Amino acid sequence: MNALVELRHLSKTYTSARTGDAVEALADIDFTVQRGEFLAIVGPSGCGKSTLLSLVAGFSTPTRGEALFEGARITGPGPERGVMFQDYALFPWRTVHGNVVFGPWSRGVAPTTRNERARELIAMVGLTGFEQRYPHELSGGMRQRCALARMLANDPVLWLMDEPLAAVDLQTRIILQDELLRLWGDERSATERPTVMFVTHGIDEAVLLADRVLVLGRRPGRIKAVVEVSLGRPRARLRTSPEVARLVEQLWTLIRDEAAQAIIEETQ
Amino acid sequence: MTIALAPPLPVRTRLVVPLVVIAATMVLWEIAVRATRTQGLVPLPSGIGASGLVLTTSGVIFEAMAGSLKRVAIGFAIGAAIGIPMGLAVGTLRPLERSLRPVLDSLRSIAPIAWIPMAILWLGVRGNAALFVVSYAATFPFIVSASQAVRMVDRRLVDAARALGASPWTVLRAVLMPSTLPMLFTGARIALAFAWGSIIAAELAIGIKIAGQGRNVAGIGQLMVETLYVKRDVDALVFYMLAIGVVSLAIDAGLRHLQRRLLPWDRR
Repeated sequence: MNALVELRHLSKTYTSARTGDAVEALADIDFTVQRGEFLAIVGPSGCGKSTLLSLVAGFSTPTRGEALFEGARITGPGPERGVMFQDYALFPWRTVHGNVVFGPWSRGVAPTTRNERARELIAMVGLTGFEQRYPHELSGGMRQRCALARMLANDPVLWLMDEPLAAVDLQTRIILQDELLRLWGDERSATERPTVMFVTHGIDEAVLLADRVLVLGRRPGRIKAVVEVSLGRPRARLRTSPEVARLVEQLWTLIRDEAAQAIIEETQ
Repeated sequence: MTIALAPPLPVRTRLVVPLVVIAATMVLWEIAVRATRTQGLVPLPSGIGASGLVLTTSGVIFEAMAGSLKRVAIGFAIGAAIGIPMGLAVGTLRPLERSLRPVLDSLRSIAPIAWIPMAILWLGVRGNAALFVVSYAATFPFIVSASQAVRMVDRRLVDAARALGASPWTVLRAVLMPSTLPMLFTGARIALAFAWGSIIAAELAIGIKIAGQGRNVAGIGQLMVETLYVKRDVDALVFYMLAIGVVSLAIDAGLRHLQRRLLPWDRR
């Protein structure tokens, strides 16, 4: 294993659009994401989970410190770092096919190659037959699959996923979790897998999916703990294992007080 | 949610009942006007029909409509050419918005037809004055819709495109442009409605002077002035009013249809 993403004393302060105050979203994050690992990022609201992801994606730049990808400083977005957004962010004017093909199309991949690849991916996420549908004609779960296929079309080395399953119902979420693991390569060896940084609200989801869980604290966002998930793979059959419950409990203990505090502050 | 109050009527009944009601109203109206001897002030249904027949078979109405519609089309095009770039600029550049907004707002609050005297002073009565007023009326809906369209662009869609490898040019062409289209289309519909409304007013105000001069085809408004002052034909006047309404409806229906055809992904 070697480092894919290195975060060096990363801090991010931004000006709140609502109050005009300076908000310290992240403070001194020092962390390394290993190649091929599935890293889940959890923490109470306002811990800067999404900010962290957008820094690695290159949508924003750190106030202090730096973020490295394959040893080079991240200065902007790039197709080797695929992003999946919380509420899909599909292009409403493009069909399923049009969305999936967008990455290769904008990078100038030849039509036959990119169309073939899009067909493969659409089949892989189970959307065959829906190629010509527009996003508004799809269910939440189908949009999510489409967003996943769109991200995969560029064959990114790193998958940046911001609460990708938050907006679907529980049953769909369980199915999509299993599918996500399958696509990532749960049944393959660690060297063949892409690297995932997966932000989630669901502690159980983090335990089920990840190799390691990064726990962030809030105000400012900082690393509170890093928890190794000592479960084997494939995970699909381990949902009910007592070890899952133990890890969920452990993580919840770390987050509970601040999560309660976040609720109080948000209602004020 | 539908609440069934009564079983749906058979098609025959649904068509026949309104027709009978309309016919009965017409007959009663005809009788009332003739009984009170108010012909010449109040139109007669039979007279409107007769005028309509004369004006359509002689082609007078079509020639006048074509004259007005031509000015509307040119004015609409001028409005789009000025309003869209201006709206895009105002929506994008904050300082420009802050400095131009008061000017635009005060200009917008002057009804286009209030410019008619100035337009006549500057451009004379040969038709360009009407064109000026129409262009003026069409410009503001374009400015408003274009500046709103820019501000409403979903930031995440831009991020999504950049993360998929899109260049700034691709983002402009494949994200920003389609994002703004529905709003621009709505603006165009308003602009056309304004233009059509103000051409009638402008032609009415400019009057019959140019009607017979041959250089510019008289529009529907000029024909109405002539009908009022020279011919004193109340039936024809009402026929013109009906024709104006029909054209408005046809224009909007046509644009709605075009919007659905061109932007099938837009659910509004």
